[in-house]
Amino acid sequence: MSRRRPLLSVFVIGLACLVGMPLYYIVVNTFKTQEEMVSSPLAPPTSLHLDNYLAVFDQVPLAQSFGNTLYVTAGAIAVQLFVGATAAYGMILRATLFNRVFGVLLLLAFVVPGQATLIPLYRTLVDTELVDTLNGLVFLYAGGSIFCFFLIQGYIRTLPFEIIEAARIDGAGVFQIFWRIVLPLIRPILVTVGIFQTMWVWNDFILPNVVLSSPENRTIVLQVYNAVGEFTTDWPAFMTLSVVVLAPMVVFFLVTQRHIVSGLLAGGVKG
Amino acid sequence: MSAATLSRPRPPSGAPVARRRRDSSGGWREAGAHQLFLVPVAAVFVVLFVIPLGQTFYWSLTDFTGYSDDVTFVGLENYRTILSDPSMTAGLSFTLLFAVGTTLLTTAIAIPLAVALNQRFLGRNLARSLFFFPAIPSMAVLGLVWGYILSPLGSGVLNSVLDGTLGLGPVPWLSDATLAKLSVVLVGVWGGAGWHAVLYLAYLQSIPASYYEVATIDGADAWQRFRHITLPLLTPAMVISQFLLMTNGLKVFDLPYTLTNGGPGFATQTITQSIIVNGVGQGRYGMASALAVLFTLAVAALSFSQLLVSRRIERRVS
Repeated sequence: MSRRRPLLSVFVIGLACLVGMPLYYIVVNTFKTQEEMVSSPLAPPTSLHLDNYLAVFDQVPLAQSFGNTLYVTAGAIAVQLFVGATAAYGMILRATLFNRVFGVLLLLAFVVPGQATLIPLYRTLVDTELVDTLNGLVFLYAGGSIFCFFLIQGYIRTLPFEIIEAARIDGAGVFQIFWRIVLPLIRPILVTVGIFQTMWVWNDFILPNVVLSSPENRTIVLQVYNAVGEFTTDWPAFMTLSVVVLAPMVVFFLVTQRHIVSGLLAGGVKG
Repeated sequence: MSAATLSRPRPPSGAPVARRRRDSSGGWREAGAHQLFLVPVAAVFVVLFVIPLGQTFYWSLTDFTGYSDDVTFVGLENYRTILSDPSMTAGLSFTLLFAVGTTLLTTAIAIPLAVALNQRFLGRNLARSLFFFPAIPSMAVLGLVWGYILSPLGSGVLNSVLDGTLGLGPVPWLSDATLAKLSVVLVGVWGGAGWHAVLYLAYLQSIPASYYEVATIDGADAWQRFRHITLPLLTPAMVISQFLLMTNGLKVFDLPYTLTNGGPGFATQTITQSIIVNGVGQGRYGMASALAVLFTLAVAALSFSQLLVSRRIERRVS
């Protein structure tokens, strides 16, 4: 198994380069003028042409969109982890028949596609004047709590229940046990779930596209989508915007890679 | 995802843990405090699932538009309209094509890819990262970028490359109905194959090397080792991967919407896009709700039957 296989190397890396071609294409064209891009789209840039970056930062309110996305993502993840963790702990504490039936109902809710509830929820946002607000978006993302609940519950079951018993005997209250013992113990799964949900919320297009309408509320994905209209003819500017928007997610991925792969191994992930 | 939850091994000490739990909840006050922990999730369940689901179902039987308050009960009228509207049935057929197409193609690519990436060779980590990359950024942004690459104009990247090397004229990648459908499916496969290969890879790495050594000593060739060791041991991964591919394929919206905006005509319009355009865009709540009900039933039926079939295959292969 350990001998080198140059043929395999060449073949797989060649294929990988083909797959990575769009990435190369968008990065390389951010350093070109429009004429250069049209005449030689795949050639490496001839000079370090940074005008596109200056233009994009100048024309698109990127800081605002990043702030919006950060606010929505942080809010959504906080709510989801809180609801998921409390629910998982409550289920473990009281495995009554009522609660077990409730657990099955939650599983059914988890399988329901978002499309099935989208129209009434949009209507609710309109009625409560939460439409076109970032808080309205966070409210909708709270639905992701149920996914968190299942993953956290799977993890909490593997913990030794004696620790909680011991804390109880030592006189700790129910909420104290949750904050001081359970939450620190389940931190690994909170990190994994948080990473997956972050990638979902940060990259999501459908809910911001439905809920948000004013330009100052746009998340970054929405900002890129709208930029296509503004930059129809200026392709390098669009590519530059894409690179600027994709960069944080790539960095996030590089930092959290280890957790993502272990999450995949645990078998509890969605695409 | 539910496949993943179901196939997860139960903790071996399930029964005694349950008994201890019951003892620990002695006293009404404490039981009440424990039950409090389920209040947030119950609120989410009722507000974000039960009530809207009920509303969707009720609205699907009315002509509710959202603007006027007089709502008339129209029975199954909305359902009848949908099934006779060509733009709706087009959405239905393309969504099915996308879900089935990406599921089959992604699986066919991801398994050999995972086997290759599991070998030791120079540059393996680089290759793994490159294949996984498309799964990281937003599919909506990638759809827009692919829009430029596949632009039907002569200045589209793919067209200019093809013209330069093979002398082909501009190919209407996104403006011909058949090519547009094919393009959307292929970009979908591009986006998912690496992610699913890493899923398979995780399972491959848990197969002990000794299985292969013994098989080699017994005279099994490479194909036999793949067919009789790798493939059977990968079936749990296949159940999860295909379930995710199928459900996500049915729910797809971002990619076709940003790449082709459902065009040309309604060729690549998805059900989700129809629901949003009708419901949010045009205020035809009744129609959109009926479509959502049909969609939910279709997703439930397809995922359930797929789960049954893959369970049966799993039992036969292993």
